[in-house]
Amino acid sequence: MLELRELQGAFAAHLKGEDRPDLTEAVVGDTISAAARLRIHRHHVGQSLVGALASTFPTVQAIVGEAFFRALAEGFILRELPAQPVLAEYGAGLPAYVSEYGPAAALPYLADMAQLDWALNLAFHAPLEDRLTASGLAGLPAERLFDLKPALAAGSTLLRSPYPIDRIWHASQPGATVGTVSLEEGPASVLILRRPDDAAFASLDTVEEIFLAALVEGSSLGEAAEAAVSVEPAVDPSRILGRLLALEAFAALQHSS
Amino acid sequence: MNPTRVAIASALAAALVLPAATSQAQGNMEKCYGIAKAGKNDCQTAKSSCAGTSKKDAQADAWVSVPKGACEKIVGGKLTAG
Repeated sequence: MLELRELQGAFAAHLKGEDRPDLTEAVVGDTISAAARLRIHRHHVGQSLVGALASTFPTVQAIVGEAFFRALAEGFILRELPAQPVLAEYGAGLPAYVSEYGPAAALPYLADMAQLDWALNLAFHAPLEDRLTASGLAGLPAERLFDLKPALAAGSTLLRSPYPIDRIWHASQPGATVGTVSLEEGPASVLILRRPDDAAFASLDTVEEIFLAALVEGSSLGEAAEAAVSVEPAVDPSRILGRLLALEAFAALQHSS
Repeated sequence: MNPTRVAIASALAAALVLPAATSQAQGNMEKCYGIAKAGKNDCQTAKSSCAGTSKKDAQADAWVSVPKGACEKIVGGKLTAG
């Protein structure tokens, strides 16, 4: 008789495809043999996890097709079973797996599309919190505005890629009207955000990305604006901040008063 | 406050009085309805799995090495050697 810990270890190994005689002995078999019972369960777990990954990475599946995605997902599952019970939180390691997945080597942008899918999934499941608005900042002295360090709203991700991931995403949607996308159109920067009813992303231009990247790294609004101006002297910081406020990219300030 | 700081700070402050920027920027967002539509409940996949329950392991489509999807639309760029 296996100890619980050993039983669980044997079960996990079985799910990853190992044949474990000690486990077969521990399972009841009558009209259906123990080995067959275990295979049914393994099959069921695999199906469920492939299905969960397909719903978390819809763009990747659309790009490569269902059969290819299934093979890719099954390979990933063998390497990394869920570490917790929430299926929507399973798959954090998939983008890295895609980047070294041999059969996908001809699609160098695929790992970045997986990252976009994952970021949208994170945003979709993030709590909806109050956002920073222009009126929320109105009346703030210019000096304090310069030094302000607003945080991105929960569930936000800034994603940069050498490939035009925003346009590839478009072309991969069901019923997409986009004809073809050339990889020469890249690079792209996108900001993924939690929205009231769903997740969404906005494409950023170069200065918006520099500004936002500086904020993410801990700079103040003023320092981020200086970084943007140093790259593009003609840029108007009010346009960048105005767009980010309109996108509701930042969490509301904690009220100290 | 040095002059550059003043200029930057007032430029930032100008963003707070830009009219009607909201609707414009939101039009620039790609809403991802597909995510909301797709169920994340494992009962959903469990149902289809049980419906065709096989006592044999699913045959891994290991031979499926050719992607067949929207990737046909994505062209050019540097392809890494496969």
